[in-house]
Amino acid sequence: MGVLRAGLCPGLTQDMVQLLQSRGIKTVVDLVCADLEEVAQKCGLSYKALVALRRVLLAQFSAFPFNGADLYEELKTSTAILSTGIGSLDKLLDAGLYTGEVTEIVGAPGSGKTQVCLCVAAHVAHGLQQNVLYIDSNGGLTASRILQLLQARSPDEEEQAGALQRIQVVRAFDIFQMLDVLQDLRGAVSQQVSSSSGTLKVVVVDSVAAVVAPLLGGQQREGLALMMQLARELKTLARDLSVAVLVTNHMTRDRDSGQLKPALGRSWSFVPSTRLLLDSTQSSGSLGSWRVVCLTKSPRLPTGCQETVDLGSLGTPEQSPVFQGDHT
Amino acid sequence: MRVERITEEAGQVSQNVFEFLRAPEPEASCSQAADASPSVFRLTSQGAADAGVRARLALGARECARRWFEMQRDLVSLPLSPAVRVKLASAGFQTAEELLEVKPSELSKEVGISKEEALETLQIIRRECLTNKTSYSVTAESGRKCTALELLEQEHTQNFIITFCSALDNILGGGIPLTKTTEICGAPGVGKTQLCMQLAIDVQIPECFGGVEGEAVFIDTEGSFMVDRVVDLATACIQHLQLIAGTHMEEEHPKALQDFTLENILSHIYYFRCRDYTELLAQVYLLSDFLSEHSKVRLVIVDGIAFPFRHDLDDLSLRTRLLNGLAQQMISLANNHRLAGKVGDMLLQYGLSFTGTKSKDGISLEKELATRSSNLAWKTPWTEEPGRLQPVGSQESDTT
Repeated sequence: MGVLRAGLCPGLTQDMVQLLQSRGIKTVVDLVCADLEEVAQKCGLSYKALVALRRVLLAQFSAFPFNGADLYEELKTSTAILSTGIGSLDKLLDAGLYTGEVTEIVGAPGSGKTQVCLCVAAHVAHGLQQNVLYIDSNGGLTASRILQLLQARSPDEEEQAGALQRIQVVRAFDIFQMLDVLQDLRGAVSQQVSSSSGTLKVVVVDSVAAVVAPLLGGQQREGLALMMQLARELKTLARDLSVAVLVTNHMTRDRDSGQLKPALGRSWSFVPSTRLLLDSTQSSGSLGSWRVVCLTKSPRLPTGCQETVDLGSLGTPEQSPVFQGDHT
Repeated sequence: MRVERITEEAGQVSQNVFEFLRAPEPEASCSQAADASPSVFRLTSQGAADAGVRARLALGARECARRWFEMQRDLVSLPLSPAVRVKLASAGFQTAEELLEVKPSELSKEVGISKEEALETLQIIRRECLTNKTSYSVTAESGRKCTALELLEQEHTQNFIITFCSALDNILGGGIPLTKTTEICGAPGVGKTQLCMQLAIDVQIPECFGGVEGEAVFIDTEGSFMVDRVVDLATACIQHLQLIAGTHMEEEHPKALQDFTLENILSHIYYFRCRDYTELLAQVYLLSDFLSEHSKVRLVIVDGIAFPFRHDLDDLSLRTRLLNGLAQQMISLANNHRLAGKVGDMLLQYGLSFTGTKSKDGISLEKELATRSSNLAWKTPWTEEPGRLQPVGSQESDTT
């Protein structure tokens, strides 16, 4: 909570602040926890004024409780489910990406995480006609690939151009730049500066591990704090703006067991509510385009479900959910 | 939105949040009530409780709205030094907005830091907060934000650095791309440094011959750069271009060739020798200043990025962190200065990526560098055939 300053709330004058500071009460927390009768006696302020002040400060700084029924109503009206454009992924995600939640795709290098993100962006921009913000942190985004995906969907060039305009691309190569980008996004929404075509529905962060990995480990603990700051920004963004956040992450090898596991450690594993693992199928070797997607964390479906995805034909009608729905 | 529902409960009906924020302060009515009747503070009277609750609801909603829309930035998210941040936190400062009105001398006294640190901290905070407030309707600084359509247009005009080997150019989709990093890995002796030297010359080819007409930076960690070999390659390149100019009867070809002499080629390759990982890191981090001065540089080659990290570095997590940071720095340079970063990496014979002392650790350098364009791996089979070049991945499919 904040430092006590004159004008923080009505009734708090500069003299009061100075008197309180001389008695060691510098922050709001100090004042709220202090024994007001004692403070009134020591500082020579009226008890009445102090109690009023405490009430106002508590009202101003405390968290606001929500009724569960209200929360449910709000969720019902504001949550949307966005299809990813890939039928097998939609099955694992229980119909698609949920707004208000963070979904994570984990995979080894070359397993297709960026391809899946590009496909989602193309589908949301073209199929669902909504805006997408793509935060690129490792240079994997090429607009020509998005164009290819769009061309596989529809031959109309105007539609392709329109869809491309709905995808905003920002590059952020370190953690502070990424936090700036998320802050800018909040500001832009608050000042209601948005393009006329559709609202922002998906934020793709590719990849989170690239900006956070240089910070973690070793003696410094700043890295962990920054990572959790980023996590908090993403989650509050998802909830407040009602967008679906899609992040990608690397894999590392566990020191003891030698197994592959998602990078960024246990602390990050609590951040996304859904986690998908992309793996190359052993049968076709590393040159094949088929990938096995496994659901490793989900609030809605049992984990361990697997589906296959063909990266070579992403975006084509055979992959779309409508087609796939007939085959179950 | 939540705030509208709450304002109804508080007895105020407003259509949108901005009106609500402009409404007369509910706190004033609360404190007026407090001054008026002392019985309020007995905490028993119903009227006082109601007034308190309503005022509290209104205040809470207002504060939620204000916090959300005024975007109070946490101090953790700003690039301050850890010591200063700890002292600010213990003095009770948590958001950046609280520090905006404070003067440096006051800050240094209250928090216990020196005046220079206070001044620097305030400068960082003011720069972050004020740039945020002014640049919402305009695209962010340095044009980092753009739509995919604009990006597509940029990519269409983007050049490649040709390698003079048509097979290589084919699998790369035209050549080494600019604004991306490319990694070349292979067993020792297979030809990585030769290719790097060739590219340092190819980047200087004039535009009318299909080149990029840029300069090159060569960061050498293994000491394998041989100037006499570069002289041979450059002479051969000049002869090749003269042959091409001979077949084209246009004006500009011979004129461009006049500048493409051996001395010019050699003088446009900036060579740095780094003997250990500290020097390499320092060189890469200082490179952005160098590149701002020499704006014609289009290619940065790091020959042997794994070499300094192989020995002398026992702490593996440090190595991972350093490599990750290096990778991000390189992709950031490539993007900001529109150049191609190229890394030659030495592998062990088994074709595995960078293993190092811990053989079970399969973290490949390709992951740490996270190159997105191409990984070219030379595989030399045991039967000792001449090494065949295999594309492990190419830019079109972009999967491997």
